[in-house]
Amino acid sequence: MIKIENLEKIYKTEEVETTALNGINFHVKEGEFVSIMGPSGCGKSTLLNVMGLLDKPESGSYKFIDTELLTLNDRERSNFRKRNMGFVFQNFNLIDELTVFENIELPLIYNKIPASERKTLVNEIIERMNIVNRSGHFPQQLSGGQQQRVAVARALVTKPKLVLADEPTGNLDSSHGNEVMELLCELNETGTTIVMVTHSSHDASFSNRIINLKDGHVVSEKINKRRNEELI
Amino acid sequence: MFKLNLKIALRNLWKNRGITAINVGGLAIALAAFILVTMYFTYETSFDKSNPNYENIYVVGRIYPEFKTNYTSPPFAKAIKQNFPEVELAGITKGGFFELVIKKDKNTVFAKNFMQADYNAAKILNLKPNNGLEKPAGDVEGLSYLSSENMKALFPNKKDNKPEMVGIGASNSGITSRIDGGIKKDLHSNIIFDGISIRNELGKGENYGYNNYTTYIQVKPGADIGNLEQKITNLYRAELLKGETDKKTIEEIKNVSTFLDPLSNLHLRPKAGNDAPYKILIALSVLGTLILVIACINFTNLSIAQATKRAKEVGVKKVMGAYRFQLTSQFLVEIFMQCFSATILALILAELILPNFNNLFQLNLSIWHIDNPLFWQLPLVLLSITLIAGIYPAMVLSGFKPSLVLKGNFSTSKQSSWLRNGLLVFQFSVAVIFIIGLFIINSQLKYMRSQDLGFTANQVVYIKNIMLFNKPEVFEPVRERFLKIPGVKLATVATDVPNGAENGSNGYTTNGLQANIDFVDVDFDYFETLDIKLKDGRFFSSSFKTDTANAAVINESAVAKYGLKNPVGKTIRGCNIDYKIVGVAKDFKAQGFESAIQPTIYAIKNPCGNYKTQIMLKIEENKMADALIALKAQWPEINPKDGEDFRYEFLDELYGKLFKKQEQLQSVFFAAALLTIFIAVLGLFAFAKYITNGRIKEIAVRKILGASDVQIFKLINRSFFIMVIVANLISWPVAYILTKKWLETFAYRIDLPLLPFVSSALITITLTVITVSIQAKKAVKANPVDALKYE
Repeated sequence: MIKIENLEKIYKTEEVETTALNGINFHVKEGEFVSIMGPSGCGKSTLLNVMGLLDKPESGSYKFIDTELLTLNDRERSNFRKRNMGFVFQNFNLIDELTVFENIELPLIYNKIPASERKTLVNEIIERMNIVNRSGHFPQQLSGGQQQRVAVARALVTKPKLVLADEPTGNLDSSHGNEVMELLCELNETGTTIVMVTHSSHDASFSNRIINLKDGHVVSEKINKRRNEELI
Repeated sequence: MFKLNLKIALRNLWKNRGITAINVGGLAIALAAFILVTMYFTYETSFDKSNPNYENIYVVGRIYPEFKTNYTSPPFAKAIKQNFPEVELAGITKGGFFELVIKKDKNTVFAKNFMQADYNAAKILNLKPNNGLEKPAGDVEGLSYLSSENMKALFPNKKDNKPEMVGIGASNSGITSRIDGGIKKDLHSNIIFDGISIRNELGKGENYGYNNYTTYIQVKPGADIGNLEQKITNLYRAELLKGETDKKTIEEIKNVSTFLDPLSNLHLRPKAGNDAPYKILIALSVLGTLILVIACINFTNLSIAQATKRAKEVGVKKVMGAYRFQLTSQFLVEIFMQCFSATILALILAELILPNFNNLFQLNLSIWHIDNPLFWQLPLVLLSITLIAGIYPAMVLSGFKPSLVLKGNFSTSKQSSWLRNGLLVFQFSVAVIFIIGLFIINSQLKYMRSQDLGFTANQVVYIKNIMLFNKPEVFEPVRERFLKIPGVKLATVATDVPNGAENGSNGYTTNGLQANIDFVDVDFDYFETLDIKLKDGRFFSSSFKTDTANAAVINESAVAKYGLKNPVGKTIRGCNIDYKIVGVAKDFKAQGFESAIQPTIYAIKNPCGNYKTQIMLKIEENKMADALIALKAQWPEINPKDGEDFRYEFLDELYGKLFKKQEQLQSVFFAAALLTIFIAVLGLFAFAKYITNGRIKEIAVRKILGASDVQIFKLINRSFFIMVIVANLISWPVAYILTKKWLETFAYRIDLPLLPFVSSALITITLTVITVSIQAKKAVKANPVDALKYE
């Protein structure tokens, strides 16, 4: 589904140039759950940002089901993003001024879904995420785990083809972290493609394939046999 | 989506309600000031605008090498009308000379200005009596109308517009006159009167020497005014030259020219007069706009300062596919909502302040009338401030990169902090200029009040009178009556009182030099009554028989003008009389502080002079009340013409009116300076709060590393301190130039003092340090562990 070739990204400040991605090649098949791992500064977040169309690389190619995405303008990128992608962040990034329900509803509004349908969709996902009794609360009133469930719900409510997760358990304790990982697995089992950046090999063990990055290169790639066997 | 954005906006505003209140409140106050200034500006610039021919009406004035005047003679208007087809109408008016006493039964009114106008002038000036403008027909020479207020006072029960007979002067004077109806007095016009007589013809038989009239012309639309002006000048010279044989006079006439002054100039900047009111109006408008700009800057500054708080929202929305345009308009709408509430608040505020404002400027402005231009001006202003205050924050906010802000360790860039600091410096610069201006206006006014005027207006009572006392022997018995009243020390009569009004002027020759100088015709005891000091020689005295024939006293300025060495005993010629200079009076400021003391000649006899009607009495302070009662009682015997109508004013109060304009300016400046400082400090307060909040972690780390409270106070104050210093440095030269210019409008003024500059620096620095420290205190007192745990 995703074909990334020779991707290069350089950060420039007044004094230094940092090469974050150094000609990366990388594929994701439809329905896969891929983990990206590597030490700090290896370029994994940059890669995720580029995949999410939040950042533009200097050169290379990024094809999403045969559509080249790097040549799109800002407006087209926005449109593509809101129709095809969902995001989960380490620090949740819920809007503090909106309730749980309103936060989840937001992407649907940007996708111009009519109000009645929005309501059904949001209620569906709230039920699935087991946060029904929290729907009128504001984010600050929830625990970290609950906030991340809301964030996952928000990422899923538009039924995206691809979910990008940036250290989704980074701010959670292990039991809440596991809950979130199980949620992502369930999601993957229903056919959603997931790309996740993580530090934790425990989290990575939930995925089909683990990619190791270092200094902007892919250094190794490993199929997670245990998980694949489970699936079979 | 709008609903959700609205919710986000409202919840955000509520969460930061302190800053929101400062934003909206500050803006509302500034807008209220701006609304008042706009209304005042509209009022002042629209005098006579209701006249349908407003654009085409001009006053014809004359220019002499030494002066400009609007006074012209009756034949001139006729000649202009006859010669130039582009002139549609030409007419003349004449101001009233006396305060006219009009009586009906027990009701009395005093018509200060009972003016005369010919029918054409009335048509040009759109003067409309209540029963319509009529041309006096048949034997009737003129039709007289009283202002509606006066009409009401004289005939409280009158319902119709029929003519009435009234008595003129004292009730025993026996003079009656016909009043043909009422006329609405328009205070919003250059033509102000208490009554008016509309004549078929004014100044019949008077020649070009009778320059007591104002000539108005109405030209056809599109007429070439420059060309007409030149043609009228040529006409005027030709008319004056008719039959003239004296070579010197012919030479002089060549230097005379005329000018056309549009009606729109008359109120604020007449060509024959000064344009100070116009300058003040412009200054006032600049003040109002500056206050608004400063409030807008607060808005911009605080909105950008709060940007970090909204960064996450922007990032999330962008990730979900919001376009930048959507976000920009979202923030603009938010700012518009705040500006809108501020506008509503401002209208309420303006309505509350309006009575005081009207009182100060002696106006009668109101907001709620249909043709108030405010109703289209205000939405325009609202849109402008939304754009000015909102466009930059909206661009900054909507421009955040989601990949940066969503990482959670985001801070606004250095670039925008430069802008914020710049705006803050600008605000404080304006505040400093206002403070300095305020101090200097204060010093000048104080100087004017305490300065020796050269004469004493205290305990001098000025009595209004219509008897003519040009001959000293006529005044002598009157003076004797006055002096018999206990408390009255001195009595005199003259053509003018020192109340700031201009004196007449005429040509006088001495020392081989001919010059136009002021003349004041006086009686004995004039100088003594006003306590004017003698420089040389003596003042008039009844023991010198010739004093009533050809003695003159001149002032120091006249001595200087003619370059006289030993003036006493010399001859000065004017009005075909050889005057002998008997004394030199020290200069005194009869015309206030704005104009320099004019060279002046004082004489008892002056056939070319004006009427001596202005009586002045010096009365002992502690017998003042009794003396006035006695005067009132005896007035009908002393002055049968005025009869029972004894009217007086205290000369010091009359002279004090000269300061009124400056005092208005002082009040306005005081209010503007206070407002600016207040709004700037509000902005600073919120800004300091924001800055300190942003540095809480830094402060916590420093405290843990051992920084003392004082060190932290210093740290936070430092950047603000520098900004205030920079603001002072920027505004000093500006304030210096502006105040110097203002002071130059006074002939008698203070030297530019240094103290205001130092004080303004001290005041702004103190205010800043206090404001910032109040905010810093919270950060300093906080437990550092709490600040760090949060991350």
